[in-house]
Amino acid sequence: MGDTVLAARKRRLGGEARLAYALLFPAVFLMVIFMVYPIIYVFIISLFKTDKLARIKNFAGLGIYASLLSSKDTWVVIGRSLLWTFTSVATKTLFGVIIALVLNVKYRGRKIARLLFIIPWASSIPISVMLWRWVLHNEFGLLNHTLRITGIMQNPPVWLGQSTTAFLSCLWVDIWIGIPFMALVFLAAMQAVPQTLYEAAEIDGASKAAQFRYVTLPGIAAILLIATLLSSLWTFNDFNTIYILTNGGPAGSTNILITYVYQNSFEWLKWQKASALSVFTFIILSTVSVLYSRIYFKKEEM
Amino acid sequence: MDTSKKTRAITAKTFALLLTVVLLGIMLFPFMVMLVSMFKSPEEIYHIPPYWFPKNPTIKNFFLVWNTIPLAMYFKNSLIIALGTVLLNTGISIPAGYAIARLHFPGKKIIMYAFLVTQMFSPVVVVISLFKIVIKIHFIDTYLSVIIANAVFTTPFVIWMLNGYFSGIPKGIEDAARIDGCTRVGALWRVILPIAAPGLVTTIIYTFIYGWNDFIFSLTFLQSGEKWPLTIGLYQFVGRFAVQWEQLLSAAFMAILPVLILFFIVEKQLVSGLAGGAVKE
Repeated sequence: MGDTVLAARKRRLGGEARLAYALLFPAVFLMVIFMVYPIIYVFIISLFKTDKLARIKNFAGLGIYASLLSSKDTWVVIGRSLLWTFTSVATKTLFGVIIALVLNVKYRGRKIARLLFIIPWASSIPISVMLWRWVLHNEFGLLNHTLRITGIMQNPPVWLGQSTTAFLSCLWVDIWIGIPFMALVFLAAMQAVPQTLYEAAEIDGASKAAQFRYVTLPGIAAILLIATLLSSLWTFNDFNTIYILTNGGPAGSTNILITYVYQNSFEWLKWQKASALSVFTFIILSTVSVLYSRIYFKKEEM
Repeated sequence: MDTSKKTRAITAKTFALLLTVVLLGIMLFPFMVMLVSMFKSPEEIYHIPPYWFPKNPTIKNFFLVWNTIPLAMYFKNSLIIALGTVLLNTGISIPAGYAIARLHFPGKKIIMYAFLVTQMFSPVVVVISLFKIVIKIHFIDTYLSVIIANAVFTTPFVIWMLNGYFSGIPKGIEDAARIDGCTRVGALWRVILPIAAPGLVTTIIYTFIYGWNDFIFSLTFLQSGEKWPLTIGLYQFVGRFAVQWEQLLSAAFMAILPVLILFFIVEKQLVSGLAGGAVKE
Protein backbone atom coordinates (compact mmCIF):
# COMPACT_ATOMS: atom_id res chain seq x y z
CA MET A 1 0.00 0.00 0.00
CA GLY A 2 2.83 2.29 0.90
CA ASP A 3 4.15 1.60 -2.56
CA THR A 4 1.01 2.79 -4.31
CA VAL A 5 0.91 5.99 -2.28
CA LEU A 6 4.50 6.66 -3.21
CA ALA A 7 3.85 5.85 -6.83
CA ALA A 8 0.80 8.11 -6.84
CA ARG A 9 2.88 10.85 -5.32
CA LYS A 10 5.57 10.34 -7.85
CA ARG A 11 3.02 10.48 -10.65
CA ARG A 12 1.61 13.67 -9.26
CA LEU A 13 5.04 15.19 -8.92
CA GLY A 14 5.80 14.23 -12.50
CA GLY A 15 2.60 15.90 -13.60
CA GLU A 16 3.42 18.92 -11.48
CA ALA A 17 6.89 19.21 -12.96
CA ARG A 18 5.48 18.87 -16.46
CA LEU A 19 2.98 21.64 -15.75
CA ALA A 20 5.76 23.79 -14.30
CA TYR A 21 7.93 23.36 -17.38
CA ALA A 22 4.97 24.14 -19.63
CA LEU A 23 4.26 27.34 -17.69
CA LEU A 24 7.91 28.36 -17.73
CA PHE A 25 8.45 27.53 -21.39
CA PRO A 26 7.42 30.84 -23.05
CA ALA A 27 9.53 32.97 -20.69
CA VAL A 28 12.54 30.67 -20.80
CA PHE A 29 12.27 30.22 -24.57
CA LEU A 30 12.30 33.96 -25.26
CA MET A 31 15.07 34.56 -22.75
CA VAL A 32 17.25 31.85 -24.26
CA ILE A 33 16.82 33.18 -27.80
CA PHE A 34 17.02 36.89 -27.07
CA MET A 35 19.37 37.02 -24.11
CA VAL A 36 21.37 33.85 -23.43
CA TYR A 37 22.12 33.05 -27.05
CA PRO A 38 23.19 36.64 -27.84
CA ILE A 39 25.54 36.57 -24.88
CA ILE A 40 27.15 33.35 -26.10
CA TYR A 41 27.18 34.70 -29.63
CA VAL A 42 29.19 37.73 -28.53
CA PHE A 43 31.96 35.35 -27.40
CA ILE A 44 31.84 33.61 -30.78
CA ILE A 45 32.01 36.83 -32.83
CA SER A 46 35.06 37.91 -30.84
CA LEU A 47 36.95 34.89 -32.20
CA PHE A 48 36.32 35.67 -35.86
CA LYS A 49 37.17 38.31 -38.41
CA THR A 50 33.98 40.00 -39.53
CA ASP A 51 32.93 42.18 -42.45
CA LYS A 52 31.18 45.53 -42.12
CA LEU A 53 27.78 43.84 -41.76
CA ALA A 54 29.01 41.77 -38.82
CA ARG A 55 29.06 38.58 -40.91
CA ILE A 56 31.58 36.08 -39.67
CA LYS A 57 34.49 35.50 -42.07
CA ASN A 58 37.52 33.49 -40.93
CA PHE A 59 38.59 32.15 -37.58
CA ALA A 60 41.05 34.41 -35.80
CA GLY A 61 41.43 32.73 -32.42
CA LEU A 62 42.19 34.82 -29.38
CA GLY A 63 44.26 37.32 -31.35
CA ILE A 64 41.91 40.22 -30.74
CA TYR A 65 42.18 39.77 -26.99
CA ALA A 66 45.96 39.88 -27.17
CA SER A 67 45.93 43.05 -29.22
CA LEU A 68 43.31 44.68 -27.01
CA LEU A 69 45.22 43.86 -23.85
CA SER A 70 48.39 45.36 -25.27
CA SER A 71 46.63 48.51 -26.43
CA LYS A 72 46.85 51.55 -24.21
CA ASP A 73 43.39 52.77 -25.28
CA THR A 74 41.74 49.68 -23.81
CA TRP A 75 43.32 50.19 -20.43
CA VAL A 76 42.48 53.88 -20.42
CA VAL A 77 38.81 53.07 -21.06
CA ILE A 78 38.73 50.24 -18.50
CA GLY A 79 40.40 52.50 -15.95
CA ARG A 80 37.91 55.26 -16.67
CA SER A 81 35.00 52.82 -16.31
CA LEU A 82 36.21 51.74 -12.90
CA LEU A 83 36.86 55.33 -11.80
CA TRP A 84 33.41 56.27 -13.13
CA THR A 85 31.68 53.43 -11.26
CA PHE A 86 33.52 53.87 -7.99
CA THR A 87 33.20 57.66 -7.79
CA SER A 88 29.59 57.61 -8.86
CA VAL A 89 28.42 54.87 -6.49
CA ALA A 90 30.29 56.39 -3.56
CA THR A 91 28.73 59.81 -4.18
CA LYS A 92 25.25 58.36 -4.72
CA THR A 93 25.55 56.46 -1.46
CA LEU A 94 26.71 59.53 0.43
CA PHE A 95 23.88 61.71 -0.94
CA GLY A 96 21.42 58.87 -0.44
CA VAL A 97 22.30 58.48 3.22
CA ILE A 98 22.14 62.25 3.83
CA ILE A 99 18.74 62.61 2.15
CA ALA A 100 17.40 59.55 3.97
CA LEU A 101 18.60 60.95 7.30
CA VAL A 102 16.95 64.29 6.57
CA LEU A 103 13.67 62.68 5.51
CA ASN A 104 13.75 60.52 8.63
CA VAL A 105 13.32 63.65 10.78
CA LYS A 106 9.63 64.23 11.45
CA TYR A 107 9.10 67.75 10.13
CA ARG A 108 6.09 69.16 8.31
CA GLY A 109 6.18 68.72 4.56
CA ARG A 110 8.57 65.79 4.51
CA LYS A 111 6.03 63.64 2.65
CA ILE A 112 5.96 66.15 -0.20
CA ALA A 113 9.75 66.49 -0.06
CA ARG A 114 10.02 62.71 -0.39
CA LEU A 115 7.91 62.74 -3.55
CA LEU A 116 9.90 65.62 -5.02
CA PHE A 117 13.21 63.85 -4.39
CA ILE A 118 12.08 60.92 -6.55
CA ILE A 119 11.49 63.00 -9.68
CA PRO A 120 14.93 62.55 -11.31
CA TRP A 121 14.55 58.77 -11.12
CA ALA A 122 10.87 58.78 -12.03
CA SER A 123 11.03 60.89 -15.16
CA SER A 124 12.11 59.45 -18.48
CA ILE A 125 15.87 59.16 -18.09
CA PRO A 126 16.91 59.71 -21.72
CA ILE A 127 14.78 62.85 -21.77
CA SER A 128 16.18 64.14 -18.47
CA VAL A 129 19.67 63.79 -19.90
CA MET A 130 18.58 65.92 -22.85
CA LEU A 131 17.35 68.54 -20.35
CA TRP A 132 20.86 68.60 -18.88
CA ARG A 133 22.30 69.39 -22.29
CA TRP A 134 20.27 72.57 -22.25
CA VAL A 135 21.00 73.32 -18.59
CA LEU A 136 24.74 72.97 -19.26
CA HIS A 137 24.60 75.07 -22.43
CA ASN A 138 27.50 77.47 -22.45
CA GLU A 139 25.72 80.66 -23.56
CA PHE A 140 22.05 80.16 -22.78
CA GLY A 141 22.18 77.55 -20.03
CA LEU A 142 20.83 78.60 -16.66
CA LEU A 143 23.46 76.66 -14.70
CA ASN A 144 26.35 78.91 -15.63
CA HIS A 145 24.11 81.96 -15.31
CA THR A 146 23.10 80.91 -11.79
CA LEU A 147 26.70 80.14 -10.83
CA ARG A 148 27.67 83.65 -11.96
CA ILE A 149 24.90 85.62 -10.29
CA THR A 150 25.25 83.76 -6.98
CA GLY A 151 28.99 84.31 -7.09
CA ILE A 152 29.75 80.60 -6.72
CA MET A 153 31.87 80.75 -9.89
CA GLN A 154 32.88 83.94 -11.67
CA ASN A 155 34.03 82.17 -14.81
CA PRO A 156 32.26 78.84 -15.10
CA PRO A 157 33.74 76.49 -17.72
CA VAL A 158 32.25 75.36 -21.02
CA TRP A 159 31.14 72.15 -19.34
CA LEU A 160 30.85 69.84 -22.33
CA GLY A 161 33.71 71.46 -24.23
CA GLN A 162 36.76 70.10 -22.44
CA SER A 163 37.72 66.56 -21.45
CA THR A 164 37.80 66.95 -17.69
CA THR A 165 34.67 69.06 -17.27
CA ALA A 166 32.78 66.93 -19.81
CA PHE A 167 33.62 63.81 -17.83
CA LEU A 168 32.60 65.53 -14.59
CA SER A 169 29.33 66.61 -16.19
CA CYS A 170 28.51 63.07 -17.31
CA LEU A 171 29.51 61.75 -13.92
CA TRP A 172 27.28 64.25 -12.17
CA VAL A 173 24.25 63.48 -14.35
CA ASP A 174 24.69 59.75 -13.69
CA ILE A 175 24.98 60.46 -9.95
CA TRP A 176 21.94 62.70 -10.07
CA ILE A 177 19.84 59.95 -11.69
CA GLY A 178 20.97 57.37 -9.12
CA ILE A 179 20.55 59.36 -5.90
CA PRO A 180 16.75 58.95 -5.48
CA PHE A 181 16.89 55.14 -5.48
CA MET A 182 19.60 55.18 -2.83
CA ALA A 183 17.73 57.70 -0.68
CA LEU A 184 14.47 55.73 -0.82
CA VAL A 185 16.07 52.39 -0.04
CA PHE A 186 18.03 53.81 2.88
CA LEU A 187 14.99 55.65 4.20
CA ALA A 188 12.95 52.44 4.16
CA ALA A 189 15.78 50.60 5.90
CA MET A 190 16.12 53.32 8.54
CA GLN A 191 12.42 53.26 9.26
CA ALA A 192 12.63 49.50 9.78
CA VAL A 193 15.17 49.93 12.60
CA PRO A 194 13.21 49.39 15.85
CA GLN A 195 12.61 52.68 17.68
CA THR A 196 13.33 50.95 21.02
CA LEU A 197 17.01 50.64 20.05
CA TYR A 198 17.26 54.43 19.81
CA GLU A 199 15.45 54.84 23.13
CA ALA A 200 17.85 52.43 24.80
CA ALA A 201 20.82 54.29 23.30
CA GLU A 202 19.34 57.59 24.50
CA ILE A 203 19.05 56.25 28.05
CA ASP A 204 22.67 55.11 27.88
CA GLY A 205 23.55 58.70 27.03
CA ALA A 206 24.67 58.05 23.45
CA SER A 207 25.05 61.16 21.29
CA LYS A 208 23.26 61.46 17.92
CA ALA A 209 26.52 60.66 16.16
CA ALA A 210 27.03 57.57 18.31
CA GLN A 211 23.45 56.50 17.65
CA PHE A 212 24.08 56.77 13.92
CA ARG A 213 27.31 54.81 14.21
CA TYR A 214 26.06 52.03 16.48
CA VAL A 215 22.32 51.77 15.76
CA THR A 216 21.50 53.17 12.31
CA LEU A 217 24.55 51.95 10.40
CA PRO A 218 24.39 48.29 11.53
CA GLY A 219 20.63 48.43 10.93
CA ILE A 220 21.03 49.38 7.28
CA ALA A 221 24.27 47.48 6.55
CA ALA A 222 22.64 44.60 4.63
CA ILE A 223 20.63 46.98 2.49
CA LEU A 224 23.68 49.16 1.95
CA LEU A 225 25.44 46.18 0.45
CA ILE A 226 22.60 45.16 -1.87
CA ALA A 227 21.91 48.73 -2.95
CA THR A 228 25.56 49.49 -3.73
CA LEU A 229 25.88 46.23 -5.70
CA LEU A 230 22.81 47.03 -7.80
CA SER A 231 24.00 50.59 -8.22
CA SER A 232 27.47 49.43 -9.29
CA LEU A 233 25.97 47.24 -12.01
CA TRP A 234 23.67 50.02 -13.24
CA THR A 235 26.40 52.65 -13.13
CA PHE A 236 28.97 50.52 -14.92
CA ASN A 237 26.32 49.76 -17.55
CA ASP A 238 24.97 53.30 -17.88
CA PHE A 239 24.88 54.00 -21.59
CA ASN A 240 22.25 56.72 -21.92
CA THR A 241 23.97 59.47 -19.95
CA ILE A 242 27.24 59.53 -21.83
CA TYR A 243 25.79 58.69 -25.23
CA ILE A 244 23.23 61.51 -25.06
CA LEU A 245 25.36 64.10 -23.29
CA THR A 246 28.69 63.81 -25.12
CA ASN A 247 28.64 60.60 -27.19
CA GLY A 248 32.02 59.83 -25.67
CA GLY A 249 33.55 63.12 -26.76
CA PRO A 250 35.40 65.39 -26.92
CA ALA A 251 37.88 63.08 -28.68
CA GLY A 252 36.79 59.94 -26.83
CA SER A 253 37.66 61.45 -23.46
CA THR A 254 34.35 60.54 -21.79
CA ASN A 255 34.01 56.99 -23.13
CA ILE A 256 33.48 54.19 -20.65
CA LEU A 257 33.51 50.54 -21.71
CA ILE A 258 29.80 50.41 -22.47
CA THR A 259 29.75 53.44 -24.76
CA TYR A 260 33.07 52.35 -26.30
CA VAL A 261 31.46 49.00 -27.18
CA TYR A 262 28.57 50.74 -28.89
CA GLN A 263 30.84 53.13 -30.77
CA ASN A 264 33.08 50.33 -31.98
CA SER A 265 30.13 48.30 -33.18
CA PHE A 266 27.41 50.51 -34.56
CA GLU A 267 29.49 53.54 -35.48
CA TRP A 268 32.84 52.11 -36.56
CA LEU A 269 31.56 48.63 -37.52
CA LYS A 270 34.47 46.91 -35.75
CA TRP A 271 32.31 44.04 -34.60
CA GLN A 272 35.06 41.71 -33.48
CA LYS A 273 36.69 44.34 -31.30
CA ALA A 274 33.33 45.42 -29.87
CA SER A 275 32.46 41.83 -29.00
CA ALA A 276 35.77 41.23 -27.29
CA LEU A 277 35.26 44.44 -25.29
CA SER A 278 31.81 43.15 -24.31
CA VAL A 279 33.46 40.01 -22.97
CA PHE A 280 35.65 42.28 -20.81
CA THR A 281 32.51 43.83 -19.32
CA PHE A 282 31.17 40.34 -18.51
CA ILE A 283 34.42 39.46 -16.75
CA ILE A 284 34.55 42.69 -14.76
CA LEU A 285 30.89 42.55 -13.70
CA SER A 286 31.02 38.89 -12.67
CA THR A 287 34.10 39.59 -10.58
CA VAL A 288 32.33 42.46 -8.85
CA SER A 289 29.21 40.34 -8.23
CA VAL A 290 31.20 37.41 -6.82
CA LEU A 291 33.14 39.72 -4.50
CA TYR A 292 29.91 41.26 -3.28
CA SER A 293 28.19 37.95 -2.65
CA ARG A 294 31.27 36.82 -0.68
CA ILE A 295 30.95 39.84 1.61
CA TYR A 296 27.20 39.43 1.80
CA PHE A 297 27.24 35.79 2.84
CA LYS A 298 30.04 36.39 5.31
CA LYS A 299 27.83 39.04 6.92
CA GLU A 300 24.89 36.62 7.00
CA GLU A 301 27.00 34.09 8.90
CA MET A 302 28.03 36.63 11.51
CA MET B 1 16.04 69.75 30.83
CA ASP B 2 12.71 69.15 29.16
CA THR B 3 12.77 72.52 27.41
CA SER B 4 16.34 72.05 26.21
CA LYS B 5 15.29 68.76 24.68
CA LYS B 6 12.39 70.50 23.00
CA THR B 7 14.55 73.26 21.55
CA ARG B 8 17.00 70.62 20.35
CA ALA B 9 14.15 68.88 18.56
CA ILE B 10 13.03 72.17 17.01
CA THR B 11 16.52 73.05 15.78
CA ALA B 12 16.85 69.54 14.34
CA LYS B 13 13.60 70.06 12.45
CA THR B 14 14.61 73.49 11.17
CA PHE B 15 17.96 72.16 10.11
CA ALA B 16 16.34 69.22 8.30
CA LEU B 17 13.95 71.57 6.54
CA LEU B 18 16.74 73.88 5.44
CA LEU B 19 18.83 71.00 4.17
CA THR B 20 15.80 69.65 2.31
CA VAL B 21 15.35 72.93 0.48
CA VAL B 22 19.01 73.07 -0.55
CA LEU B 23 19.10 69.43 -1.67
CA LEU B 24 15.82 69.78 -3.56
CA GLY B 25 17.23 72.84 -5.29
CA ILE B 26 20.07 70.67 -6.58
CA MET B 27 17.97 67.63 -7.46
CA LEU B 28 15.21 69.53 -9.23
CA PHE B 29 17.44 72.06 -10.98
CA PRO B 30 16.94 70.83 -14.57
CA PHE B 31 13.20 70.52 -14.04
CA MET B 32 12.97 74.06 -12.71
CA VAL B 33 14.89 75.19 -15.78
CA MET B 34 12.43 73.27 -17.96
CA LEU B 35 9.40 74.69 -16.17
CA VAL B 36 10.44 78.32 -16.69
CA SER B 37 12.00 77.94 -20.14
CA MET B 38 9.09 76.20 -21.82
CA PHE B 39 7.02 79.37 -21.37
CA LYS B 40 9.60 81.55 -23.12
CA SER B 41 9.50 82.85 -26.67
CA PRO B 42 12.59 82.23 -28.87
CA GLU B 43 13.74 85.81 -28.22
CA GLU B 44 13.61 85.25 -24.48
CA ILE B 45 15.17 81.78 -24.36
CA TYR B 46 18.07 82.83 -26.62
CA HIS B 47 18.77 86.04 -24.75
CA ILE B 48 22.29 86.89 -23.61
CA PRO B 49 22.73 87.05 -20.71
CA PRO B 50 20.02 84.47 -19.91
CA TYR B 51 17.52 85.04 -17.12
CA TRP B 52 15.27 82.73 -15.11
CA PHE B 53 11.70 83.94 -15.35
CA PRO B 54 9.94 84.65 -18.65
CA LYS B 55 8.93 88.30 -18.98
CA ASN B 56 6.00 87.53 -21.27
CA PRO B 57 5.08 83.93 -20.52
CA THR B 58 3.55 82.18 -23.52
CA ILE B 59 2.01 78.75 -24.06
CA LYS B 60 2.64 78.89 -27.82
CA ASN B 61 5.42 76.27 -27.66
CA PHE B 62 2.97 73.59 -26.60
CA PHE B 63 1.11 74.05 -29.88
CA LEU B 64 3.98 74.88 -32.23
CA VAL B 65 6.02 71.79 -31.39
CA TRP B 66 3.43 69.41 -32.85
CA ASN B 67 4.19 70.87 -36.30
CA THR B 68 7.94 71.29 -35.89
CA ILE B 69 8.37 67.57 -35.21
CA PRO B 70 5.85 64.72 -35.66
CA LEU B 71 5.18 64.62 -31.94
CA ALA B 72 1.81 62.86 -32.20
CA MET B 73 3.46 60.05 -34.14
CA TYR B 74 6.21 59.74 -31.52
CA PHE B 75 3.60 59.55 -28.78
CA LYS B 76 1.75 56.85 -30.70
CA ASN B 77 4.97 54.87 -31.22
CA SER B 78 5.97 55.15 -27.57
CA LEU B 79 2.53 53.93 -26.58
CA ILE B 80 2.67 50.95 -28.96
CA ILE B 81 6.11 49.95 -27.69
CA ALA B 82 5.20 50.39 -24.02
CA LEU B 83 1.86 48.56 -24.28
CA GLY B 84 3.39 45.81 -26.40
CA THR B 85 6.11 45.33 -23.80
CA VAL B 86 3.47 45.10 -21.07
CA LEU B 87 1.38 42.54 -23.00
CA LEU B 88 4.24 40.25 -23.91
CA ASN B 89 5.96 40.55 -20.57
CA THR B 90 2.81 39.90 -18.55
CA GLY B 91 1.84 37.02 -20.81
CA ILE B 92 5.07 35.15 -20.22
CA SER B 93 5.77 36.26 -16.65
CA ILE B 94 2.49 35.28 -14.95
CA PRO B 95 2.71 31.57 -15.76
CA ALA B 96 6.45 31.50 -15.02
CA GLY B 97 6.02 33.36 -11.73
CA TYR B 98 3.23 31.01 -10.70
CA ALA B 99 5.31 27.92 -11.51
CA ILE B 100 8.19 29.20 -9.39
CA ALA B 101 5.99 30.26 -6.49
CA ARG B 102 3.73 27.22 -6.30
CA LEU B 103 5.08 24.15 -8.09
CA HIS B 104 7.87 21.77 -7.23
CA PHE B 105 10.11 20.73 -10.06
CA PRO B 106 13.74 19.80 -10.61
CA GLY B 107 15.94 22.69 -11.72
CA LYS B 108 13.99 25.42 -9.95
CA LYS B 109 17.02 26.78 -8.11
CA ILE B 110 19.07 26.89 -11.30
CA ILE B 111 16.37 28.82 -13.13
CA MET B 112 16.00 31.34 -10.33
CA TYR B 113 19.76 31.79 -10.16
CA ALA B 114 19.94 32.23 -13.93
CA PHE B 115 17.31 34.97 -13.71
CA LEU B 116 19.42 36.82 -11.17
CA VAL B 117 22.59 36.53 -13.22
CA THR B 118 20.91 38.10 -16.27
CA GLN B 119 20.50 41.29 -14.25
CA MET B 120 24.21 41.81 -14.67
CA PHE B 121 24.15 42.26 -18.41
CA SER B 122 23.66 45.61 -20.02
CA PRO B 123 21.42 45.71 -23.07
CA VAL B 124 24.34 47.35 -24.86
CA VAL B 125 26.56 44.26 -24.83
CA VAL B 126 23.70 42.04 -25.97
CA VAL B 127 22.51 44.43 -28.64
CA ILE B 128 25.36 43.55 -31.03
CA SER B 129 24.35 39.94 -31.50
CA LEU B 130 20.69 40.76 -30.96
CA PHE B 131 20.97 43.07 -33.94
CA LYS B 132 22.19 40.17 -36.07
CA ILE B 133 19.37 37.93 -34.87
CA VAL B 134 16.79 40.62 -35.50
CA ILE B 135 18.08 41.03 -39.07
CA LYS B 136 18.12 37.28 -39.64
CA ILE B 137 14.49 36.83 -38.60
CA HIS B 138 13.47 39.95 -40.58
CA PHE B 139 12.37 41.86 -37.50
CA ILE B 140 14.58 44.85 -38.20
CA ASP B 141 12.72 48.17 -38.17
CA THR B 142 9.62 46.65 -36.57
CA TYR B 143 7.95 47.52 -33.29
CA LEU B 144 8.08 43.84 -32.46
CA SER B 145 11.90 43.79 -32.29
CA VAL B 146 11.91 46.56 -29.69
CA ILE B 147 8.95 45.07 -27.82
CA ILE B 148 10.55 41.61 -27.55
CA ALA B 149 13.88 43.04 -26.41
CA ASN B 150 12.27 45.17 -23.70
CA ALA B 151 9.95 42.37 -22.58
CA VAL B 152 12.85 39.96 -22.27
CA PHE B 153 14.96 42.42 -20.30
CA THR B 154 12.15 43.13 -17.82
CA THR B 155 11.10 39.49 -17.42
CA PRO B 156 13.55 38.38 -14.70
CA PHE B 157 12.65 41.24 -12.36
CA VAL B 158 8.91 40.84 -12.98
CA ILE B 159 8.98 37.08 -12.38
CA TRP B 160 10.93 37.80 -9.21
CA MET B 161 8.27 40.25 -8.01
CA LEU B 162 5.35 38.01 -9.00
CA ASN B 163 6.94 35.08 -7.22
CA GLY B 164 6.80 37.19 -4.08
CA TYR B 165 3.15 38.16 -4.54
CA PHE B 166 1.99 34.63 -5.40
CA SER B 167 3.90 33.07 -2.51
CA GLY B 168 2.16 35.46 -0.13
CA ILE B 169 -1.29 34.08 -0.99
CA PRO B 170 -2.38 31.31 1.42
CA LYS B 171 -2.40 27.89 -0.21
CA GLY B 172 -5.76 27.10 1.41
CA ILE B 173 -7.61 29.52 -0.86
CA GLU B 174 -6.27 27.81 -3.94
CA ASP B 175 -6.98 24.33 -2.53
CA ALA B 176 -10.57 25.32 -1.81
CA ALA B 177 -11.05 26.45 -5.40
CA ARG B 178 -9.57 23.21 -6.68
CA ILE B 179 -11.89 21.13 -4.47
CA ASP B 180 -14.74 23.07 -6.04
CA GLY B 181 -13.59 21.72 -9.38
CA CYS B 182 -11.18 24.33 -10.67
CA THR B 183 -8.08 23.14 -12.53
CA ARG B 184 -4.75 24.57 -11.49
CA VAL B 185 -4.77 27.00 -14.36
CA GLY B 186 -8.40 27.84 -13.60
CA ALA B 187 -7.52 28.54 -9.99
CA LEU B 188 -4.61 30.74 -11.10
CA TRP B 189 -6.92 32.71 -13.38
CA ARG B 190 -9.97 33.01 -11.14
CA VAL B 191 -8.53 33.02 -7.62
CA ILE B 192 -4.83 33.87 -7.53
CA LEU B 193 -4.71 36.67 -10.09
CA PRO B 194 -7.56 38.72 -8.56
CA ILE B 195 -5.92 38.51 -5.15
CA ALA B 196 -2.49 39.39 -6.56
CA ALA B 197 -3.98 42.25 -8.64
CA PRO B 198 -2.33 45.12 -6.72
CA GLY B 199 1.06 43.48 -7.15
CA LEU B 200 0.31 42.80 -10.78
CA VAL B 201 -0.48 46.49 -11.30
CA THR B 202 2.99 47.32 -9.99
CA THR B 203 4.75 45.02 -12.42
CA ILE B 204 2.57 46.21 -15.31
CA ILE B 205 3.38 49.85 -14.60
CA TYR B 206 7.06 48.98 -14.20
CA THR B 207 7.20 47.34 -17.63
CA PHE B 208 5.17 50.16 -19.17
CA ILE B 209 7.67 52.72 -17.89
CA TYR B 210 10.60 50.56 -19.04
CA GLY B 211 9.13 50.34 -22.54
CA TRP B 212 8.25 54.05 -22.61
CA ASN B 213 11.80 54.99 -21.66
CA ASP B 214 13.52 52.59 -24.05
CA PHE B 215 16.42 54.21 -25.82
CA ILE B 216 19.06 51.68 -26.86
CA PHE B 217 16.85 49.13 -28.64
CA SER B 218 14.86 51.75 -30.53
CA LEU B 219 18.06 53.56 -31.43
CA THR B 220 19.55 50.38 -32.87
CA PHE B 221 16.60 48.53 -34.40
CA LEU B 222 14.31 51.30 -35.66
CA GLN B 223 15.88 52.87 -38.70
CA SER B 224 12.97 54.68 -40.31
CA GLY B 225 11.74 57.79 -38.54
CA GLU B 226 8.08 56.68 -38.69
CA LYS B 227 8.63 54.14 -35.92
CA TRP B 228 10.66 56.29 -33.54
CA PRO B 229 9.34 56.64 -30.00
CA LEU B 230 9.54 59.93 -28.07
CA THR B 231 13.00 59.23 -26.65
CA ILE B 232 14.58 58.80 -30.09
CA GLY B 233 12.45 61.45 -31.77
CA LEU B 234 13.46 64.08 -29.22
CA TYR B 235 17.08 62.90 -29.29
CA GLN B 236 17.25 63.36 -33.05
CA PHE B 237 15.68 66.80 -32.62
CA VAL B 238 18.31 67.78 -30.05
CA GLY B 239 21.01 66.60 -32.44
CA ARG B 240 19.93 69.01 -35.17
CA PHE B 241 22.07 72.04 -35.86
CA ALA B 242 19.33 74.54 -35.00
CA VAL B 243 17.19 73.19 -32.21
CA GLN B 244 14.19 75.17 -31.05
CA TRP B 245 14.90 74.48 -27.40
CA GLU B 246 11.80 76.28 -26.15
CA GLN B 247 9.71 73.82 -28.14
CA LEU B 248 11.81 70.83 -27.22
CA LEU B 249 11.39 71.61 -23.51
CA SER B 250 7.62 71.77 -23.83
CA ALA B 251 7.67 68.41 -25.66
CA ALA B 252 9.94 66.98 -22.95
CA PHE B 253 7.47 68.12 -20.31
CA MET B 254 4.60 66.36 -22.08
CA ALA B 255 6.69 63.20 -22.55
CA ILE B 256 7.80 63.06 -18.92
CA LEU B 257 4.44 63.75 -17.27
CA PRO B 258 2.70 60.39 -17.91
CA VAL B 259 5.61 58.29 -16.57
CA LEU B 260 6.01 60.57 -13.60
CA ILE B 261 2.41 60.02 -12.53
CA LEU B 262 2.62 56.25 -13.07
CA PHE B 263 5.88 56.07 -11.17
CA PHE B 264 4.43 57.76 -8.10
CA ILE B 265 1.74 55.07 -7.94
CA VAL B 266 4.17 52.16 -7.70
CA GLU B 267 7.24 53.79 -6.20
CA LYS B 268 7.04 52.08 -2.78
CA GLN B 269 6.54 48.57 -4.14
CA LEU B 270 9.32 49.12 -6.67
CA VAL B 271 11.83 50.12 -4.04
CA SER B 272 11.11 47.13 -1.82
CA GLY B 273 11.10 44.83 -4.86
CA LEU B 274 14.46 46.13 -6.09
CA ALA B 275 16.03 45.76 -2.68
CA GLY B 276 15.17 42.05 -2.83
CA GLY B 277 12.39 42.24 -0.26
CA ALA B 278 14.98 43.04 2.39
CA VAL B 279 13.12 46.28 3.11
CA LYS B 280 9.67 45.74 4.53
CA GLU B 281 6.94 48.31 4.14
